[in-house]
Amino acid sequence: MNTFLVFLEQREGVVKKSSIDTWNRAQELAALHPGAAVSALLVGPASTRQLDGCPGGNGVIYHANEEAFRLYNPEHYTRLVVETMKRVAATTLFFADTALSRDLAPRLSVRLKASLLTGCAVDDAWGENGGGCCQRPVYSGAAIASFAPCRPLKIYTCTPRASRISSPITSGARASVVVLEPSSSTSEELFPLVRRMAMHEGVRDVAEARIIVAGGRGMGRAGFGLLEALARLLGGAVGASRPVVDEGWRPHAEQIGQTGKTVAPALYLACAISGAPQHLAAIGSAGIVVAINCDPHAPIFDVADYALVGDVHLLLPKLIEEFREFLKKR
Amino acid sequence: MHIAVCLCQVPDTASVIDFFEGALDLSRVNGVMNPFDEYALEEAVRIKERFEGSQVTLFCIAPSSAKEMLRKALAMGGDRALLFSTTEPADTFQTAGMLSRAITDYYGEVLPDLVFCGKHSTDFQSAQVPLMLAELLGMESVSAIIKLEASRAGIHVEREIEGGIESLELHYPALFSVEKGLNVPRKTTIKAVMEARKKPIDLLPVTLSESSCVTITSIKPFVREKKCRVVQDPKELVLLLTHAEALF
Repeated sequence: MNTFLVFLEQREGVVKKSSIDTWNRAQELAALHPGAAVSALLVGPASTRQLDGCPGGNGVIYHANEEAFRLYNPEHYTRLVVETMKRVAATTLFFADTALSRDLAPRLSVRLKASLLTGCAVDDAWGENGGGCCQRPVYSGAAIASFAPCRPLKIYTCTPRASRISSPITSGARASVVVLEPSSSTSEELFPLVRRMAMHEGVRDVAEARIIVAGGRGMGRAGFGLLEALARLLGGAVGASRPVVDEGWRPHAEQIGQTGKTVAPALYLACAISGAPQHLAAIGSAGIVVAINCDPHAPIFDVADYALVGDVHLLLPKLIEEFREFLKKR
Repeated sequence: MHIAVCLCQVPDTASVIDFFEGALDLSRVNGVMNPFDEYALEEAVRIKERFEGSQVTLFCIAPSSAKEMLRKALAMGGDRALLFSTTEPADTFQTAGMLSRAITDYYGEVLPDLVFCGKHSTDFQSAQVPLMLAELLGMESVSAIIKLEASRAGIHVEREIEGGIESLELHYPALFSVEKGLNVPRKTTIKAVMEARKKPIDLLPVTLSESSCVTITSIKPFVREKKCRVVQDPKELVLLLTHAEALF
């Protein structure tokens, strides 16, 4: 019998969309595997009203709403997850693949002696071959590897799915929320200690955006103004290729590629990006890819759904205008 | 200060990953230092230069051909390299286990003050070994740091999170995995390369005692299935995109 525990991550009191998506996926998996049950652990003060009707499906959401959990503390979080795993007798722990889970999951895997599979696409093939397998690209996207866990306990950090929009499961069932008793250990000051968390004002993170407008060196430093305008218009985020970040035109937080972020937006607009293998590997699970480039033989077109061949500096203003027209009419 | 840096080799970005009769063929791949490990090493060397009497020791589990890469690392400022050429670890947990034994064997009872690793290796991108290693060594640790301020009393670091930055405080001994942006690795000078030739590279044994937690059941070539449609102008593109479900 499988018991899934889904870690619900909050930042500034808001549960991450990627966590809710992971919860929904765990519910889908549970539906495919009779006897499987799903619980969740929400760590830190957060409004559960946000969760109302949103995570559907069966199960209990355990909420550790102590102030001590507002900021991420590796040791406090590790202890809480270990306790909760025992409490619900969980065999499988799911995280959304985030900066927090990449920090927390390896610690937990050693404490729990669990198999850890990071950055995986957990799909319907999960239950095949004895269970728990998942796939992800390796070697800069040149190959795809299947990983199988060998331990009874398993931990996954799940990458987002571009193809499906995180939507509630309308099975009629509702998850219930149980607020956890304050733990005695949280008054202890445990290191490393997060002193501060500073969020960038008004900037959508590229790893979480549904729409990404990315630019390469061909944009020129000033050309990124156009990309920002388009991203604002579409409610998306700006991304950048490595040369752009190396030039110092954009911050590393926006870099997409092997030494940057791996993204899976619903729409990826690549402007003046030729498509180095390291870049293509990082957008492998994007939904629709649009490439605008003056070189018709640029490798980016091999992975694009739509190609617009020409000078970005001429095409982008027109594209922005067309989108503006469309959004006005709607 | 005693500083340990863990290094690994990855295929250089220009290498072609081939398949021969369905199996992964890495025979034509050129191994280089993992790019994130260069940031880790650079940070270690910078701290060594600030705190007099520091020693930077490099730990590497790889085939003996990794010597060339270690020479470069010594030229960048490492003092001594330890190369553990052994049965190839099957997963990240075995790698972390071997590294932890290699480090405790070398330093004995007292842990090194600092351990640096790259955020992840660019070939598998698991990002698991550094914090598993910290957990096995019982050290305070932080992953993917972009800023570090070390004093005698403690360490302040920053790491990127989605849409913001976390500032953390911790004590020695500590382990960090390093993100791009922490520093700009130095170029090696001819003098440094000459000096590196005199620095020791020790070939040491290490046992494989952990059983693996994860097995790779297959590695297949990644086939892209997309068919690209060339559109004439932005108008047509917007028309096609706005027909796609729920994009906007």
